[in-house]
Amino acid sequence: MKEILRMEDITKKFGEVYANQDINLTIMEGEVHTLLGENGAGKSTLMNILIGLYQPSKGNIYLKGEKVKIDSPSKAVKLGIGMVHQHFMLVEAMTVFENIILGTSKDKSIFIKKDAIKKGIIDLANKYGLDIEIDKEITEISVGAQQRVEILKALYRGAEVLILDEPTAALTELEVEGLFQIIRKLTAEKKSVIFISHKMREVLEISDQITILRAGKTVTTLKKDDTEASELANLMIGKELVTSEYEKVIETKENIICLEHVDFNAKSKHSGISDITISVGKGEILGIAGVDGNGQSQLAQMVTGVISPDSGTVYLNSKKITKFSPHRFIEASVSHIPEDRNKMGLIGNMSVKENLALKSLETPALSMGKGLFLKKKAITNNAETMKEKYDIRCSSVEQETRNLSGGNQQKIILAREMEENPELLVAVHPTRGLDIGATKYVHDKMIDSRDKGCGVLLISADFDEILKLSDRIAVMFEGKLVGIYSGNNPPIKEISLAMSGKIE
Amino acid sequence: MNIKNKLIKILVPIVSILFSFIIGAILIASIGGDPVEAFSYLLKGAFGTTSNIGETFVKATPLIFTGLAATFAYKCGVFNLGAEGQFVMGAVASVWISTTFISIPTPLLLVVSLTSGAIAGGLWGLIPGILKIKRGLNEMIVSIMLNYIAVLFMGYLYSGPLRDGNLPQTAEVAVKLGRIFSGTRVHAGILIALVLTVILYYFLFHTSFGFKLRAVGLNPTAAEYNGFPLKKLILTSFVISGAIAGLGGSVELHGTQFRLMSGFGIGYGFDGVAIALIGQLNPIGTVLVAYLFAVLRKGAITMQVGTGMPTSVIDIIQALVIVFAVAGSALTNLPKVKQFFTNISQKSNKEVK
Amino acid sequence: MGAFLNVNFIQDLLLSMVRMATPILIVALAELYSERAGLVNIGLDGIMAFGSLVGFLTCYITGDPYLGILAGAIGGVLINMVYAFCTITLGAEQIVYGMAINIFAPAIASFIYKIYFGINSSLITNTLMSAVPIPLLSKIPFLGNILFNHTPIVYFAYLLVPITYVFFNKTKAGLNFKAVGEFPKAAESLGINVIAKKYLASIICGALAGIGGAYLTTCYISTYSDGVVSGRGFIALSAVIFGRWMPGGVLLAALLFGFTDALQLRMQVMSSGTPYQLLAMIPYICTLFVLAFFGIKKAGPKANGKPYFKEER
Repeated sequence: MKEILRMEDITKKFGEVYANQDINLTIMEGEVHTLLGENGAGKSTLMNILIGLYQPSKGNIYLKGEKVKIDSPSKAVKLGIGMVHQHFMLVEAMTVFENIILGTSKDKSIFIKKDAIKKGIIDLANKYGLDIEIDKEITEISVGAQQRVEILKALYRGAEVLILDEPTAALTELEVEGLFQIIRKLTAEKKSVIFISHKMREVLEISDQITILRAGKTVTTLKKDDTEASELANLMIGKELVTSEYEKVIETKENIICLEHVDFNAKSKHSGISDITISVGKGEILGIAGVDGNGQSQLAQMVTGVISPDSGTVYLNSKKITKFSPHRFIEASVSHIPEDRNKMGLIGNMSVKENLALKSLETPALSMGKGLFLKKKAITNNAETMKEKYDIRCSSVEQETRNLSGGNQQKIILAREMEENPELLVAVHPTRGLDIGATKYVHDKMIDSRDKGCGVLLISADFDEILKLSDRIAVMFEGKLVGIYSGNNPPIKEISLAMSGKIE
Repeated sequence: MNIKNKLIKILVPIVSILFSFIIGAILIASIGGDPVEAFSYLLKGAFGTTSNIGETFVKATPLIFTGLAATFAYKCGVFNLGAEGQFVMGAVASVWISTTFISIPTPLLLVVSLTSGAIAGGLWGLIPGILKIKRGLNEMIVSIMLNYIAVLFMGYLYSGPLRDGNLPQTAEVAVKLGRIFSGTRVHAGILIALVLTVILYYFLFHTSFGFKLRAVGLNPTAAEYNGFPLKKLILTSFVISGAIAGLGGSVELHGTQFRLMSGFGIGYGFDGVAIALIGQLNPIGTVLVAYLFAVLRKGAITMQVGTGMPTSVIDIIQALVIVFAVAGSALTNLPKVKQFFTNISQKSNKEVK
Repeated sequence: MGAFLNVNFIQDLLLSMVRMATPILIVALAELYSERAGLVNIGLDGIMAFGSLVGFLTCYITGDPYLGILAGAIGGVLINMVYAFCTITLGAEQIVYGMAINIFAPAIASFIYKIYFGINSSLITNTLMSAVPIPLLSKIPFLGNILFNHTPIVYFAYLLVPITYVFFNKTKAGLNFKAVGEFPKAAESLGINVIAKKYLASIICGALAGIGGAYLTTCYISTYSDGVVSGRGFIALSAVIFGRWMPGGVLLAALLFGFTDALQLRMQVMSSGTPYQLLAMIPYICTLFVLAFFGIKKAGPKANGKPYFKEER
């Protein structure tokens, strides 16, 4: 096999921090080369250098043996490097056709020669087995289809090296198989694929070679056949994989919240829920497993009062809920660690202390006369106490929360939501974007709450997190509940199948 | 960190004012005038005599009201461009009350009239609010349309049903706000304005309701998720903002104009928006900038009479202050510029991870 | 009442409608280009005011209304460049800056007028552009007069509608342009120069808005006054929303407003009993009702109103 791309001694510094240090990566023609590593290992930075968004502080890149300087995204495209981002760069209001031809000009005319170009695209799509509906708007097609559009975009621009960044994150098991078929067709046509992932099972299935990154450095490069899962995992993390250290709860006596035949926007597969009957017990963690976009967001919004059901009933502490509002649920001691901490959880321009006090402004502790006079000192003291207790790193409680790191922002939300000793804690992707230390902290605190009698509804796309923490595991697929399993020695294979819609 | 931010917030308007005056001076010179002479007439006009100083306060009063209305609205995330209409409707309500119900004893009549002014303004401000909540309409366009409707309505009234005599104007109101400094036209309205400023400041920054309003203005989604009644808060913002402007119209009527006629309230609305923006959306800042505008307006007339320099020069200076102040705020908020400032201050203000 | 059904009256009314819709149409299209690139420009009223002054003055000095229109375009671009720089490069909030322009531009216009003509002058008149009837077509009974007997600016305005349609829907440049307003990051990643396109949009917007203003004082009324624009800039804004960001829709909206405006003027003349102010309210009330009725289902280009920064970490 010929070498097509070589990144040699690539180093990238941001201020004092080394995002990439002396990285060496060689890609062969027609191979699937996986870049394996945890969050923050340096994969994104390396790829951003490859597609011309960043310039390396040191090091060289060779394409087909010749040294090249990739100083802009357009240059990268010209050199035949195409990237399919994790978050698609597709214009929703435009059609598949329009998205593919955007920014290109293969002929001299100012008008779009629609029929001629369409035919060319369809031929290209067929060559690689990419099934697309060329005149549909992006909003009308599935996530898997959108990904195929992104791949086609890169191929249309003449990509020889295709970078797929966490391509399976939002796909069902079926769609993943479809993607792998496409990848095999691509390599058969001598295209190279750089596959970025941290999902062991997929990596072992599709890769030819695997390069492991850890803390900005290359650990090693292995051939797929020469290794297996636990060795890879060790190399990735650098230490022994820790199995769950938490004790699981087997049975609960009472339920804190019950949903019975709840519907919301039931027709939609990806933003609605259909006929959900489920309950969370006091003192247990119920984990909802499932790929993002199967109705989990709506479930979370339902049990925190943001949306109300189209049909069905919700009982909170055995009382039927008639009026759905966040306020109502907050009053009933429901706490919420939201999906998007900046959009839903924090007021970025307000200070740490103000965000911490957000829900208790009318309590006698922080104000007189139910909010008529805010006790500024009490608010500050409250914040200082929380800062200590939850180890929130900030220069002062007066600092605006938008200036804090993701981990500390999350800690503020945690502090605010968990100090109240809630009866129900709804945690959605609670450790997204957090480093290992912060993640462990959040996990410990959640177990703590559970042990104190709080019911926890945990929604996460991180399967390992679900396995670690849940006492019971429920799986959602396309808005429906497709199975409930025990969290104690969970049947992983069954659950995985359920997550991709394949139920026995 | 916070002190540095506050410092920048104060510096931006001051520097903008300086720049604008410099350009104004250049402008004056370019058409053959003498900037020094022009500006000295400006100052004389504003501060030369007790009566003049008084006039600046008289002129500042309505501007404080519309400025506060805009500041309040903006702080709550609402673009109330309808202060002009609300101001006028407030005056309309007051004129009707105080020329019709003249049998009510004077102090009570005044209170009733001022209150009706506030209510009328609040209701007029409610319209864009309801349309926003129910139909998702952009409140800017709605409130501006309502401005034109209000002014035309006022014109209809003083030329028609409420006309007094042959001239297109209403009768004089039966009660007036008393003068508080002899030798000047300064009336109690300025006191009302200042008291209102303090009340609003307190309300916004020291009560939970004000906190919630500000939260909605900064991040409505997070506010909603944390249990704040979004719709109620947004509507309240519109109503309060409108009521402030309406009260301003009523005060202007009872303090200075005493009757409605052509030209009543013109320009106060948009000026209020400008004042709010330059004053960095802070009630205290609003009062200061409103006073500055009043000084400019008063002095401009004297300048025009004394040197022949048209008052439009002052309009331009005023406009330039806005242009520079807003650009300046944006400039100092750019990530690169912020980095620059952080590098200058050697203290360890870096974010701790 | 019978007067309404008189053919001459209707013809006259429709003719007026076409003329009065013109400035709104031009300015609404100006805003369309701007918003398609993600820039909400509410300073249209101000740009129009400046355009109307510049157009008036140029026409007065040179005697040539066409030069006035050209001057209006240039003036509009100059003013809008201030807006463009502050919103695109500095990232100032677009709504706020639009308001700043609304205060700034008319002030300059007023100033220049007073400097040139003196402080107390009024009723300085101008030579208006004369109508250029299109041969043959203008002879068509009834419609001929309504559609083909106008000043060329009117023809220009209506021609702009299909041109805009073709640009956005059939050309590569138009597609790339739209992407800037929908998803600038994606556009940038595909090699489209987002910043350049935004500036281009501002130039087009400024020019057209300036022409719209100049039209008022060179083709419509022969005098200039500080209030000559009367909020048409804002009506144009609502026309964009009402027209759902499509050239055809904008045309309909402009015609509707032109119609109500023309109607209200005629009603003023006819029913001298009704106070003119109540009639003059009609276009504004109409705007409100139309907006309230249609609501905003489609919110326009997705990245509309958001500042765009090219990021390096």
